[in-house]
Amino acid sequence: MSRDAIWWRVAWRSLWRNRLRTLITASGLAFGFLAAVIMVGLTDGMVTELVNNGTRLIIGQAQVHADDFLPERSMHRTIGGYDGTDVEALIARMESNPNVAAVAPRVYGGGLLSSGDETQAGLLMGIDPRREPEVTTLLLNVSAGRPPVAGANEILVGAAMADQLGLELGAEVVVVAPAVDGSMGNDLFTLVGTFETGTPALDANYAILALPDLQLLMALDEERIHEVAVAFVQASETALSSASLAETLSDGPPVRVSPWTELRPELAEMIALMDGANFLIVVIIFAMAIFGVANTMLLGTFERRHEFALVRALGTTPLGVWRTVVYEGIILGLMSLLGGALITWPILVWWHNFPPDLTSLISGFSMSGSQWRPILRVEYSLMAPLVSAIALFLTSILAALYPAWKATRIPPADALADR
Amino acid sequence: MYRVYRYRIAWVPLLGLAGSFLLALAAPPIHAQTAREIIDRVDRLLRGESSRGRVTMEITTEHWSRSLEMEVWSLGVDHSLVRVEAPAREAGTATLKAGQEVWNYLPRVDRTIKVPPSLMMGSWMGSHFTNDDLVKESRIVDDYDFEIAFEGEREGVDVWEFVLTPHPEAPVVWGRVEEQVRKADLMPTWIRYHDDDGKLVRTMTFSGYQTMGGRLVPATMLVIPADKPDELTSLTYHKLEFDIALDESFFSLRNLRSRR
Repeated sequence: MSRDAIWWRVAWRSLWRNRLRTLITASGLAFGFLAAVIMVGLTDGMVTELVNNGTRLIIGQAQVHADDFLPERSMHRTIGGYDGTDVEALIARMESNPNVAAVAPRVYGGGLLSSGDETQAGLLMGIDPRREPEVTTLLLNVSAGRPPVAGANEILVGAAMADQLGLELGAEVVVVAPAVDGSMGNDLFTLVGTFETGTPALDANYAILALPDLQLLMALDEERIHEVAVAFVQASETALSSASLAETLSDGPPVRVSPWTELRPELAEMIALMDGANFLIVVIIFAMAIFGVANTMLLGTFERRHEFALVRALGTTPLGVWRTVVYEGIILGLMSLLGGALITWPILVWWHNFPPDLTSLISGFSMSGSQWRPILRVEYSLMAPLVSAIALFLTSILAALYPAWKATRIPPADALADR
Repeated sequence: MYRVYRYRIAWVPLLGLAGSFLLALAAPPIHAQTAREIIDRVDRLLRGESSRGRVTMEITTEHWSRSLEMEVWSLGVDHSLVRVEAPAREAGTATLKAGQEVWNYLPRVDRTIKVPPSLMMGSWMGSHFTNDDLVKESRIVDDYDFEIAFEGEREGVDVWEFVLTPHPEAPVVWGRVEEQVRKADLMPTWIRYHDDDGKLVRTMTFSGYQTMGGRLVPATMLVIPADKPDELTSLTYHKLEFDIALDESFFSLRNLRSRR
């Protein structure tokens, strides 16, 4: 152990013999670390935005249904079967799970909306206007008017549908929907608002009612709902949180917890692809760094040909020489890591909180049915700094291996004789 | 997620009846004719006919079952009016078919709604009939080619079995329709509807042949969807009159709304 400590000391001193060169090399590595973390953070920011827009708009991060509700989405398959379940108790149980941030109950139906001579088919969605905004941004997209209030026979429809039906705010809408008892539910509603999400399928087909109003229309008891949408505390831990929630609900009526990755598999695949790209970014950045570091270290060992030859002549084993150089690499790596962390941290915080907004320059795009706005936010993550740190450390060691091997190959006699 | 809901809304009630009774109201036996001639004859016999009847519709599905009492008026194949009389919750609900248009009256909100074309495949009151049953039946002779697939005895009864194949351009939803008709009295016994892939979609069967309003008719008709053999809709006539005083003006939106 003490013999080893000597090599560490030798390595440390050798590093500081050419202070400037060491600092420049360490800075290179530290900036590599910074670049890797920021690049990965930017991609993560994009992914987070896509996931948020793909899920937060209407899907939520997970959905709870009766186990036989998907994929047919039959209106008869309510949670807890025909008798339903105590909705408030179900919500309370879901909220008791520490992973759950918020939940929103829903009822779905299909029907006709009619005003004057115009009639159109639409998808009816019953929501809790108080809980829904905590899970999805649907109600933030109200472009005119306001969301419906329960018990007042109010309706909110997509802007495209309102155009189609020629509806103005305050207009009367006849809604006809098949009820679960086989009858034809029908009632008059007042248009209190329109919403515009930019997703044509929503804007042209969805009509939003207060949950109890739609239950009444469809002859559903208040215990009967089709879905509870869920927002988790950790958006990135959907799979784990879903499993935990399923565990919490396992003693109640048979339900299935579907994370958004199951509900929107195409979006999940795209994100897996971007994660792969992240890994590639880290590899490329540090592959570039490895040659820079190796070059410096090689230079350093050539400079010390005489010293290595001398210590070899005094009886040091080639392994001892090899260790000095590798230890140098390790110390260099640790210093770079420390420096890298010190410069990365404030930049990360700043970039996360004040992302450059390029909205005025480019218009963003839509990917896998999810909108992306050109706001370059860097997302915090544990993985990016960790992976980058490991990569940096490996880089400095790998870069030291070849110079270390070269150092052991220095023939003592020739080197001392300056041959 | 955003896929459009498959509407099970249902309209046009008995309109399916127009088609089913098409053959029921037929003339005496005819001999040595082509399939088309037989059906065309039946079709022409129907035109100009007026009728009025009382009917019970019983629907059984996986999730619920219900029974509706209705009064039905018809004039030829282009006009019909159906008004629900019981249960009380839905009394007054009415459906009007005039030509290719279908309207509904909802007494609860006192509004009439024109059924959009996109819902023509929807069923009425959750029954296993569709709007299309009504509208398309009036053009049966224009839209299909007819062929006698079988002529002879089935279970001791002399029958024809027709295969109806739609013309390539015909706006019909069925890929093939098979129909069995008793030779002796031209009463239909069953109709099988197949989709474009030749898969059976639903079967209609007729029974309770009796004389009503001076004509032999099958008083009961059953519809069974092939994919849900436990579900069915049955229609039973209790009273049927023919050649009553009705003209086209009776089939108006005003009349659709009026309660008796």
